Amino acid sequence: MIEVFLEWRFLTIAPCDAAEPWQLGSQDAATPIMQGIIDLHHDIFFFLILIFVFVSRMLVRALWHFHEQKNPIPQRIVHGTTIEIIRTIFPSIIPMFIAIPSFALLYSMDEVVVDPAITIKAIGHQWYRSYEYSDYNSSDEQSLTFDSYTIPEDDPELGQSRLLEVDNRVVVPAKTHLRMIVTPADVPHSWAVPSSGVKCDAVPGRSNQTSILVQREGVYYGQCSEIRGTNHAFTIVVEAVPLKDYGSRVSNQFILQTN
Amino acid sequence: MASARKIVGQAASKGPSPSVIKEMIYGISLGLAAGFFWKMYHWSSQRRTREFYDLLDKGEISVVVDE
Repeated sequence: MIEVFLEWRFLTIAPCDAAEPWQLGSQDAATPIMQGIIDLHHDIFFFLILIFVFVSRMLVRALWHFHEQKNPIPQRIVHGTTIEIIRTIFPSIIPMFIAIPSFALLYSMDEVVVDPAITIKAIGHQWYRSYEYSDYNSSDEQSLTFDSYTIPEDDPELGQSRLLEVDNRVVVPAKTHLRMIVTPADVPHSWAVPSSGVKCDAVPGRSNQTSILVQREGVYYGQCSEIRGTNHAFTIVVEAVPLKDYGSRVSNQFILQTN
Repeated sequence: MASARKIVGQAASKGPSPSVIKEMIYGISLGLAAGFFWKMYHWSSQRRTREFYDLLDKGEISVVVDE
């Protein structure tokens, strides 16, 4: 009962892979990279708690002892070489402990997957996204392309999240290495999906690449993270489906789009 | 009022003077204890995540709703 109350009062559980009102923590991880980010956050938070409790205790006790009747004659300490050396060395060791897992995660995020199964190109426009699946066509064929618009505020169906849903989701296979190529058609954008731990800037004149491995089926919501006009923060919705259903889902999507 | 303050003053001056080293040791111990509780939460959440994915891979649970 106490745990339920504490979780309600202090923690917000995110049961879905989208932003929740008053959310404090991260969304549930759907990729190994996001799990690594959460673990790094927990590692650093340990040091934060250690330092916070120590400094708060010293502050409170100093105020407690600074009492004209309980301690009428305060100590007159001018300097202390030993304590000065300790308080210089000890705080410099803490960032070393933080840096080790941080650099490990950073370099693992930069590793390029040599042979991803699928490459999807995400092109940012003002103010929608278009996605290209170019893996399955020969050079003279047109790529499979569709646009993805955010469903307006006054138009959602029952059960849809406000300003988070799109008309056409990006369908990707779960448990499969993907390569996302992100580029804009006009101004800078950013393709961000928090539960996948992905944020890839779309810079004009450049194609940026990021690798994703979605570990479980589900629908993951994100928003554009580079301000660019009136309808900024339009949404990105990634739907991860089982690999066996991927082909039929993508072809159905293009049939609907064509119609 | 003056006599009460005198008694408090007399009682206080007999007490031990505070030790900086002791306070630092108590502070670091409290900090480590609080950090340990946080680590317990972290290990618990890692274990729950691992169990979730193990069950998912075995097929005992599913995140897909049957239509």
